[in-house]
Amino acid sequence: MKTPRLLALLGLSAALFAGCGPKRPTLHLYTWSDYLDPELVAAFEQAHGCRVKIDTFDSNETMYAKVLAGSGGYDVIFPSSYQISLMVQNNMLRPLDKSKLPNVTTNFDPSYTGVILNPDMTYNVPYAVTFTGLAYRKDKTGGATVDSWACLDNPVFKGRISLLNDFRETLGAALKSLGHSLNSTHPAELKQACEVVLRWKKNIAKFDNEQYKTGIASGEFLLGHGYSGDIAQVMLEDTENIGFAFPKEGFTAACDEMVIPATAREVELAHAFINFLYDPDNACKNIQYICAPMPNKAALAKLPPEYRDNPAILPPAEVMGKAEVLKDLGAANKLYSDAWDTIKATE
Amino acid sequence: MKRNPFPLVVLALVLVFLYLPIVVLTANSFNLSRFGGSWEGFTLKWYGQLLNDNQVWFAFVNSLLIAAGATLASCVLGTTAALSLHRWRSRLQGIHYGLIYTPLVVPEILMGISLLLSFTAVGMDCGLHTILLAHITFCVSYVTMTVLARLQDFDDSLIEAARDLGANAWVSFIRVQFPLLLPGIISGGLLAFTLSIDDFVITFFVAGPGSSTLPLKVYSMIKHSPKLPVINCLSTVMLALTFALVLASRAFQNRRHPKAPNGRKHGAIA
Repeated sequence: MKTPRLLALLGLSAALFAGCGPKRPTLHLYTWSDYLDPELVAAFEQAHGCRVKIDTFDSNETMYAKVLAGSGGYDVIFPSSYQISLMVQNNMLRPLDKSKLPNVTTNFDPSYTGVILNPDMTYNVPYAVTFTGLAYRKDKTGGATVDSWACLDNPVFKGRISLLNDFRETLGAALKSLGHSLNSTHPAELKQACEVVLRWKKNIAKFDNEQYKTGIASGEFLLGHGYSGDIAQVMLEDTENIGFAFPKEGFTAACDEMVIPATAREVELAHAFINFLYDPDNACKNIQYICAPMPNKAALAKLPPEYRDNPAILPPAEVMGKAEVLKDLGAANKLYSDAWDTIKATE
Repeated sequence: MKRNPFPLVVLALVLVFLYLPIVVLTANSFNLSRFGGSWEGFTLKWYGQLLNDNQVWFAFVNSLLIAAGATLASCVLGTTAALSLHRWRSRLQGIHYGLIYTPLVVPEILMGISLLLSFTAVGMDCGLHTILLAHITFCVSYVTMTVLARLQDFDDSLIEAARDLGANAWVSFIRVQFPLLLPGIISGGLLAFTLSIDDFVITFFVAGPGSSTLPLKVYSMIKHSPKLPVINCLSTVMLALTFALVLASRAFQNRRHPKAPNGRKHGAIA
């Protein structure tokens, strides 16, 4: 007979599902894929007698949509800065208890205050900062110095450049090259920026967000507008030939942060986890894993030289002042998307 | 006689578009280069990383559990639904048919968001159980349709004969109708398993903390992970497993029915 066997199997699977309800407390993280050193997770589980379960999202928008629709139960979420104000407005976050985060208070590096959107840290603790700059092939610059957005006009690189397919980033670069703020909402400034990007467009190969890493690694592109964390990964593979430059006119900074949602169940454990990650030794280990700096002074000082000297991982202090954070522009976003449409439609 | 080259060209194109990506993917899983832009040498290190990646295996186990659960439940529910749809024709059954048919045509994203909203409306936490419920919901329709198709060329006089020979309703179902329907149920179940194990859209909405499935994990890895080649390895392993399964089931069928030209006739009255 088939029926009892079916029932037994159903019962078994039910038991397995029930088995997921642990006796030990479980901390649920909602973060980007491979964005946390698994050894640290194991160490935290051991130290606090708990389990850590990690779920991953692929963009701030999808994470936001899910949590807003009522998917609760996450204890620590890792959104980018600009998403946080929106989450605060919708009462989705719980204010942090600073007394439970002594490592954050002691170790936070104030030189990063300029590149995080919410420096008062009521709801958020910065996790990792990334910058947007220019990756280039050291071996094929044809004598040109890569240190400015002006390189995008240089005929040496013609047809071998990729620009980010992101209107805030690319129009932001154009605004910076003109000396404007990359959060500008002046229609006239945007019009100028639009013309600059149209001029660049004649010199570049394509707009791209994913494949440029491959392109730079293989030498297909000589110049790539990209995120420092991504480029750092490429540079670790090929330190000799790939460089990363911060354009002297200014560039974007973005920060992923840790927040505790209002629906969190393990609030104590969540605080303990954030505090644990800010421990200098742990933070130092994690920075090497994710290739992006956590603004933790003691940890940054402990980094081994090959990480400390890589500008894509740890930007030199003198360029930090030129970084500007992308802000949510609300209604003015339309100015950017309209300009971008024009750029995309023009041959 | 000159052959028309057109079918050959189409065949070649179809083969290239179907299999070239798989070949590239398999080759890249052994590529030393992380970015797969060029061949930098043979390595097994990505397979090593795959073995040690607990999160991937955790998601894989979740996917298997859900697919198995959804397949079993939808086979039972789908078969009973098909039987009742086949046996009775009334207005109520018309509505029933409509309900079963809807998930086949409703866009997945609509189904995903509406399921999530209804789960939260009744205060249900999302997790493996909500994914399982959601998957059963759409798998039932596929199983029902497959079994229904099988029932359409089912000869009802066989049941009458069984009853005539003294079998009661239960025995005639178990000994006569069920074995005849089994190939339909199995193919419906296989369909359900495949749909469940690679569903992304609906799963994305109804997944809760600690219940990431493989498609969710793979998607977030593609967008944001320094360990991209690990996905290639995983796909290669799954591909090899699938081929092995298909070959094994072929061998198994050939051994069971060495002479029967058509497997379904055999075992009908056995």
